[in-house]
Amino acid sequence: MGRLLLATSAVVLFLLLVVSAMTTSRVAPEDSQTVHQPAAQDKAGLRTLQARYKALSKQLSQLMPNQPYILVDTARNRLYVKHQEQVVLDAIASTGSGIILDKPGEGHSQWIFDTPRGEFLVKSKLTNPTWIKPDWAFVEEGLAVPQNVADRAEQGVLGEYALGFGKGYFIHGTLYTRLLGKNVTHGCIRLNDSDLKGVYKLARVGTPIMIF
Amino acid sequence: MNLCAILLLLAVTTPSWGKDIEVFPDLNLSNPNELKEATRVLEEELKLAARPQTYLLIDLGGSTIHIKSRGIGLHQIPITAWSTGSRENLKGIHRLVARPSVVRRKIEPGASVEQEPISLADMPADYVLSFSHSLSVTVVPSVASDSLIQSAVLLGKVGWRNVKDWTSRFLTDRSSEPTSYLRLTLSVDHAQSLAWSLVDDMAVVIRRPTDK
Repeated sequence: MGRLLLATSAVVLFLLLVVSAMTTSRVAPEDSQTVHQPAAQDKAGLRTLQARYKALSKQLSQLMPNQPYILVDTARNRLYVKHQEQVVLDAIASTGSGIILDKPGEGHSQWIFDTPRGEFLVKSKLTNPTWIKPDWAFVEEGLAVPQNVADRAEQGVLGEYALGFGKGYFIHGTLYTRLLGKNVTHGCIRLNDSDLKGVYKLARVGTPIMIF
Repeated sequence: MNLCAILLLLAVTTPSWGKDIEVFPDLNLSNPNELKEATRVLEEELKLAARPQTYLLIDLGGSTIHIKSRGIGLHQIPITAWSTGSRENLKGIHRLVARPSVVRRKIEPGASVEQEPISLADMPADYVLSFSHSLSVTVVPSVASDSLIQSAVLLGKVGWRNVKDWTSRFLTDRSSEPTSYLRLTLSVDHAQSLAWSLVDDMAVVIRRPTDK
């Protein structure tokens, strides 16, 4: 058994060495760009390149937000408010669970409970928000979806503040603080009360939200 | 208003954006080849940073994958090792067209048992990403396991992937359409983190190293 394992490992290692050697040998001919040390006649060209590089770097920096922005790491369930490189607020959050739920009567259509990734803006700031429960909240519990909007309203579950960033997604509070740090939501971003208050104070309508 | 007050006011109100940033801290500003490459990448990145989106900058020179938005580095993933064939084909902006699927758990309406949310551990660590312009990026996990058997299994997988990739490249090189490939070796955690952060149609720009 031990010999078999040893022999298998040897074969695998041999294969790896062979293939790595082939890969390396394929890389080498492509790497034949010659580095020209700047001779006297090249100095002007070098200065032009340096100036171009600096100008482009400056252009890039001008695209960065000129105000605090919200950064959300959905893999590690963290929310930061940053101003340039400085972290102004660091909070444990809960983000989307990634679980799916079939939409009843719509064939293969499904809800996917992911927090959306990309760049968004704070579109609304609410105090004492009311949760208007969407269809999935009823379907998930095996309940009939009410026709009356009033039957969807639920008070006190989103905390004292909510910041909307489009398509029904919010940064809001939670009753389930023990679940902070986990991917448990239907796509919204949950925070505890004090962090939510901090984010509410720091953000304004138009504040960028970067989610990855 | 005295001079001090005016200076203080200027210091507070002057926009802090637009100042020089170090996009590539390892860049040798006296090497024209490095400057040309950095300038090319910056030109590409400026196009991406001008729009609200997250994108990847694979910095082979700095051995780091950057997840970025608006020029801001949101997250960094270190590259353990990498290899490629033709570096020429890595130029330009590539868009993600295919990535590994993730097994998602499904909610059974009305069920009392809660489904386990998706997590980083559900992400693959050994996968292939297909990008536009025939770019294929293979991500393989580095062997850092303390178990001999796990290491042997992983080595076997990576070895088999090497053989498959080499065969594929060997065959592809004979066809009419040029295909470029990049193989990235990441730690298991970082490979899973990258898989988590990818979104459909995500753009990538690659900074190629130049000879020192």
